[in-house]
Amino acid sequence: MDLSLDDRLRQRLLRVRELGRSEMRPLGLEADRLGRPLPADHPFFERLVALGLGRTRWSGEGEAGGAGGGGTRAVVQLAEEMAYWDRGVAVAFPGPGLGEAPLLALGSEEQRERFLGPFRSPDRPHWGALAMTEPGAGSDVAAIRSRARRVDGGFVLDGEKSFAANASRADWIVVFATVDPALGREGHRAFVVERGSPGLGNFHVEHKMGLKAYESTSFTLRDCFVPDSNLLAGNDPSARRSGFSGALRSFNSTRPAIAAMAVGMGRAVLDESVAFARAHGLLRSIRVQDRLERMRRKLRASRWLCLRAAWLADLRRENQLEASMAKAIAPAAALDAAVAGMEILGEVAGRGDTLVEKLFRDVKAMDIVEGTGEIQRIVMARRLVGLPRDTG
Amino acid sequence: MIDFELPTELALLRDTARAFAEGRLRPRERVSEAERGVGDELLRLHREIGLAGVGWPEALGGAGLGALAQALVREELAAADAGAALALDPLGAALDALRIFGGDEALERFAAPIVERRGARALLVYDAAPHVETHSGLARGTIAWVPADRLDLVVVLERERAYLVADALRFEARRGAGLRAAGASTLHIDGAPIVAEWVSTPGARAALAAARLEVAALLVGVARRAAEFSRAYALERVAFGRPIAHHQALAFQIADMAGAVEAARHLVIDAAWRIDSGLAADEACATAFVECVEASMFVAPRALQILGGHGFMQDHPVEKYLRDARALGLLAGGVDLSREDASRAIVASRGAIALAADDPLEGIEA
Ligand SMILES: Cc1cc2nc3c(=O)[nH]c(=O)nc-3n(C[C@H](O)[C@H](O)[C@H](O)COP(=O)(O)OP(=O)(O)OC[C@H]3O[C@@H](n4cnc5c(N)ncnc54)[C@H](O)[C@@H]3O)c2cc1C
Repeated sequence: MDLSLDDRLRQRLLRVRELGRSEMRPLGLEADRLGRPLPADHPFFERLVALGLGRTRWSGEGEAGGAGGGGTRAVVQLAEEMAYWDRGVAVAFPGPGLGEAPLLALGSEEQRERFLGPFRSPDRPHWGALAMTEPGAGSDVAAIRSRARRVDGGFVLDGEKSFAANASRADWIVVFATVDPALGREGHRAFVVERGSPGLGNFHVEHKMGLKAYESTSFTLRDCFVPDSNLLAGNDPSARRSGFSGALRSFNSTRPAIAAMAVGMGRAVLDESVAFARAHGLLRSIRVQDRLERMRRKLRASRWLCLRAAWLADLRRENQLEASMAKAIAPAAALDAAVAGMEILGEVAGRGDTLVEKLFRDVKAMDIVEGTGEIQRIVMARRLVGLPRDTG
Repeated sequence: MIDFELPTELALLRDTARAFAEGRLRPRERVSEAERGVGDELLRLHREIGLAGVGWPEALGGAGLGALAQALVREELAAADAGAALALDPLGAALDALRIFGGDEALERFAAPIVERRGARALLVYDAAPHVETHSGLARGTIAWVPADRLDLVVVLERERAYLVADALRFEARRGAGLRAAGASTLHIDGAPIVAEWVSTPGARAALAAARLEVAALLVGVARRAAEFSRAYALERVAFGRPIAHHQALAFQIADMAGAVEAARHLVIDAAWRIDSGLAADEACATAFVECVEASMFVAPRALQILGGHGFMQDHPVEKYLRDARALGLLAGGVDLSREDASRAIVASRGAIALAADDPLEGIEA
């Protein structure tokens, strides 16, 4: 039993804090004010690459490396710290993004080399993306309708994809499509669609309530040819069968980190609210104290849930229940904090130009991405009471 | 490096406590409640297998284990019967208060006689108001409810001091809202000689923190048991053609109840780990207490609701879990004072609030 930070991680967190304070927070506020994502050619991204960020955790020698050491626990704590400064900017960071996990889970050695290789030590910013969600299928991923038709030497894709992070600037997008909707999940395949592929287009950067610093992009695939060599797990029927669950598994491994980001955002609300209350002589109010106490308590409990799920992941123990628990609880705690923070700021929050108000808009997304709170409860209930699929 | 694995010693201890609780306490939870006690046989056994002395120093014949060990045992015992957990523990947080204020000498003088006589009990009472006045070495006043039918030593804790009374205590039997296995009475202190007194604000805070952590750990146990009982019931009970657990409205509640228990437990572990690591823990104990009261009042009523009308009947234990949980949360000064103490750290802090004792952001202006 040890609940302390080791020195190495502490040093990494302190570096994130420096970067967060000097660059991430101001850039996030600026993007929010301007109402548009940081452009792909923003010098900040160049600086990140020069700092050795924006890389893949794939070591190039078989298995995935430990994300710079420290495993999932470190990932979770770093994610919390990044989100503390600006979660939108953190998602805008160059790197393979959500596309990395399916490549690691399903890609051949050659495919990893081809798609993740450029992220090993990039000389300029690169992005990857993942597109699962469609206008008609979000939580119910089995219902995706994007079609993959077999043609000579590959597949032709047709369909629409929604809200994919960094998609318009990505070198490639891992796209999920079905070879036959009648097959249900069995028909799902994952394709790496490269930038400039004919038929990949209509990129539309969505206007969001918050998290404006990164692009959430919808796009279409029209007769978009993808060669066989870009089909993940193409020659391995059993791996292919698991393509769908592989995608879901990749979500599983990231849930504690997403939950931790919510904790980080909630912590930022807490700190801002305390600073405001102090500056305005509100700290003596019992009601204000109660709100702050509750914020901190719920966030602290959430943090432990994230770390516990991460710890189980590092030990390669079953952690579905714990991961979903963290993801169900932390975003709600962070939203609660933001709601209370707005109350503490009162009309000042109503102006719409404070960090707390921005966080209030940013944080709602955390209960939606990578499985809504309801979906997390379904996963938990499967574990706890064997909830059958037809109810979930 | 974060590591939640219990050392083997503690895992074994927890398993021992669980086996004792499930095998011995749970089958007679209604009997203990009706008889307002656990009986000699259980007291002996509990002592014999080493559960009583987990936190006692070796000089008292205990194992000298820390706050985490005690929290684990308390959770397990309360997951069978929280009232019995109190009845079985001859010292409870009185041990911490004696140690904090008076050190080995106080333990030798006041705790040892309690430990040596089976059935003897000391209790820590937090008297914030205060309801008991002291004058010329005598204490006079009334504590409306203590979870006991008789006591051999009372540690009266206030904001800045603690004192001991042992004689001229009168116990007026009450039905008790819950925790009846420990007894329930109004304690009249009728000019009791003050046997010892210590004044120290930090000492009082630390003793109160220990009392809160004791209650918090018991609450985790009750809430866990209530959640678990109702989960099992929901898998058996059929309505509208399926187990009620498979109606999403209940499935989600069951998920939320499990989450609430887990979140509360982590704050107890957090606080206990801080104590055992020699870190500041008063705020963490207060925070854990508040969360555990909230969680238990979230979980236990829902557990009863899952049983519907059957939950309201005393054939099932969930109504008892609800009463026990409610009663527990009133101890150690109750939740409002705890919340107040938990917020003190926020008021006192200069800048950002660290969530963990060794948070890298502690004390940093945002
Ligand atoms: C900021 C942001 C970034 C995103 N980034 C990406 C990305 O990079 N790549 C990507 O592929 N997608 C991305 N998404 C999409 C996201 O994954 C989906 O929005 C999410 O999965 C929910 O799907 P939906 O929006 O279609 O809602 P729906 O699935 O239509 O859900 C609507 C409501 O119904 C509830 N619901 C659904 N099914 C059930 C059920 N069985 N029981 C009870 N309640 C249910 C949901 O919880 C929700 O409250 C992003 C979304 C946002 C907001």
